[in-house]
Amino acid sequence: MDHRPQAWGRPRDDVYGAYDGSYLNHGGPKNATQSPVVTGTSVIALKFKDGVVMAADNLASYGSLARFTDVKRLHTFHNTTILGYGGDVSDMQFLSRLILQIELHQDYELEQLPDIKAQRGQEVMQANNLFTFLKKQMYHCRNHFDPLWNQILIAGFDDERKPFLSSVDLRGTSFSAPSLATGFGAALAQPIMRKYADTEEQAAKLTREEAVEIVKECMKVLFYRDARSLDRYSIAVVTKDGIDLKENEQLEKQSWAFAERIKGYGTQTV
Amino acid sequence: MSMFSQNPLMNGPNYSFSETPRVGAPEGAREHRFDPYTDNGGSTLAIAGADFTIMAGDTRLTSGYSINSRFHRKVFKIGGTTTDQHDAHLVLSVVGFAADGEALMERVDAMCKMYRYRHGRPISVKACAQRLSTILYNKRFFPYYAYAILGGLDEEGKGAVYSYDPVGSYEREQCRAGGAAASLIMPFLDNQVNFKNQFIPGSGEGHALQERERRPLTRQEVEVLVKDAFDGAVERHIEVGDGLQMMVITNKGIEEIILPLKRD
Amino acid sequence: MTSIGTGYDLGNSIFSPDGRNFQVEYAAKAVENGGTSIGIRCKDGVVLAVEKIITSKLLKPGANKRIATVDKHMGVVYSGMVPDGRQFIDRARDEARSWRDTFKTPIPTADLASRMGGYLQAYTLYQQVRPFGITAIVGGFDSELELPVDGQVGSGPSCGAGGKDSTKKHGGPFLYMIEPSGLYWGYYGAATGKGRQAAKAELEKLDFSEEGISLEQAVKEAARIIYVAHDDSKDKEFELEMSWISGADGPTKGRHMEVPKELREEAERLAKKAVADDDSDEEEEKEGEKMEE
Repeated sequence: MDHRPQAWGRPRDDVYGAYDGSYLNHGGPKNATQSPVVTGTSVIALKFKDGVVMAADNLASYGSLARFTDVKRLHTFHNTTILGYGGDVSDMQFLSRLILQIELHQDYELEQLPDIKAQRGQEVMQANNLFTFLKKQMYHCRNHFDPLWNQILIAGFDDERKPFLSSVDLRGTSFSAPSLATGFGAALAQPIMRKYADTEEQAAKLTREEAVEIVKECMKVLFYRDARSLDRYSIAVVTKDGIDLKENEQLEKQSWAFAERIKGYGTQTV
Repeated sequence: MSMFSQNPLMNGPNYSFSETPRVGAPEGAREHRFDPYTDNGGSTLAIAGADFTIMAGDTRLTSGYSINSRFHRKVFKIGGTTTDQHDAHLVLSVVGFAADGEALMERVDAMCKMYRYRHGRPISVKACAQRLSTILYNKRFFPYYAYAILGGLDEEGKGAVYSYDPVGSYEREQCRAGGAAASLIMPFLDNQVNFKNQFIPGSGEGHALQERERRPLTRQEVEVLVKDAFDGAVERHIEVGDGLQMMVITNKGIEEIILPLKRD
Repeated sequence: MTSIGTGYDLGNSIFSPDGRNFQVEYAAKAVENGGTSIGIRCKDGVVLAVEKIITSKLLKPGANKRIATVDKHMGVVYSGMVPDGRQFIDRARDEARSWRDTFKTPIPTADLASRMGGYLQAYTLYQQVRPFGITAIVGGFDSELELPVDGQVGSGPSCGAGGKDSTKKHGGPFLYMIEPSGLYWGYYGAATGKGRQAAKAELEKLDFSEEGISLEQAVKEAARIIYVAHDDSKDKEFELEMSWISGADGPTKGRHMEVPKELREEAERLAKKAVADDDSDEEEEKEGEKMEE
């Protein structure tokens, strides 16, 4: 018989066998995204005189497999804010549902504030506010080692009614610039967009038509060079009048003539 | 022997939970862990003067070889009562992992505000400095990956600079450089602010050489020094550039100066 | 219902020997003193209206809304104790949210009515609680179109067997009224509160069939009925609050929202005129009767 204090009040080992405390050790896998599974590639966005243009293709890849070809990665919030998701699609869906609840909750509160509603329409929560929320959410998840495997672009207007464009990623790192791009876009599209809008001042001179044209050109370059991309894409423009979202655009005026000049890969003999 | 130690007798009962066999993860299975940190580059710098403090940082934000933003602040006014911080009296610079840096800044700012509400007066740099250290130290097992520098004016109105490592070690200094180009800027400051390795010409040979006498720098001198330090860092470090943000803290308030840096 | 409870009315969960729960009946009394609420379900939508008695001149006109939105596509209006109504709405919104969490789709009006009916009924069972002092009218428009589930990103295969019956109709406008007992029925026209008798009489005259009144007509009828049900002699002044829900192709695009100011004012103008005409008719009749005498 063991009389040491550690054994007090416990079943006797010689009768019941050693205590199995394994249930206290959660050694099994945790329910956290450890790496992305079904993913979307680049999202690109560019500010202009009175708004922001954003685009992303409609592909969700499963590794190198083009798994889903009609995936909408540009979402809207209250007809005032665009969200563009790169990275894991299931985490995107989680966030999309979370934001829907925010939207409903906002509407409930606005209902009790008819004056504010009349003054500012459905826009009490502006793009910068939604961005702050998302940033905290992403940072919170990374702090718990359960990251939401996305990089998200948020476009709309800030409290001063100026065009707003910001990015937040799976670690909660956030920043803004006149033009932004996630994934391959950071390497392939950003240089093109920066050629036209390197500074806020330059972006503030761009017209809507110019901005859309630049973004479309970037989508083309991305399709040429990014193997995980698609020639069907979504493009959205947010202005003070609301959002113009097109979800099934086809890349136009492609020219693969440049491909002939590429040497050094594959089985060429010359 | 075993009577005195807490070890179980021979093959006796063992009540230590940590020694019970682990189930769950199969043997040899290794968990691929998400890395919660990145380095967003950039550099910061702070110099204390006789009756002012200058805090500065570049405005480039990088990840790897990419420039994420050309204008991202890492020097913040804190402890004011409004969102625009017009009545703030302290400045905090953070460099390293930007998300942690900003989370840290927001916590210190909130803490300073709480101090103001509770005590009816703004927090002193000294008190804030100690509190910042505690905040960092409390998270030492999952640290804020940020090199913080806190600047303000002390109780006598003299410039004060406190510098930190990510887990809360801190000291008050005359000047400090932090971040990517710290190793490039710090020796320059040693020489130019504390006159290290400067001797009075002809004052002697070898150890007999007399050090140049230290004197407090003027605001104009420090502003030029800061600009020169960053111009130098930009030339030699790819993560530094785009813009220079300078905060000048005097007893009249905090003035922000934005200057261009090379964008290459 | 003037009988005295004689000890059987002191708590819930005690039936009287003749099978009544007096607490529930007293709750219904609380409802009968509240401002009139009505709901109309017509072929292309639902209208909710409430007679909001102005209890103090110090209250801001148009503030303190009495009709609330639940999810996007439903509205709730109630007569009786306002704080109980607020609690009812909070619960309804929680139910709508939990439905969305589970099924990733908006809660059908019938299911919300069922859940809220169950919720109110539970408050008739226990000593420790009292029943809700409200009767609520829930109006909603369940989408007739196929909705994507929340977070849906694609549209699925564009070819294949399918399995949908294209002739089958889904969704449409729905209206339910839930009483303190937890009892709820679906209605074409529902009325509760002080002026419910007059309102019901008026509702019964309306044509709710496929060829019947349109949503816009229903708005005007609702305004008129609230005015008819209002008792000038006894009551203080009131504000008319109205909301409506149409299908995706209608004016509210499937959402529950306040009736626009212009339409409400027009409806109120017509309502006042109708009531005034009615009154003068009655007076003429009375005068006629006197003449005959």
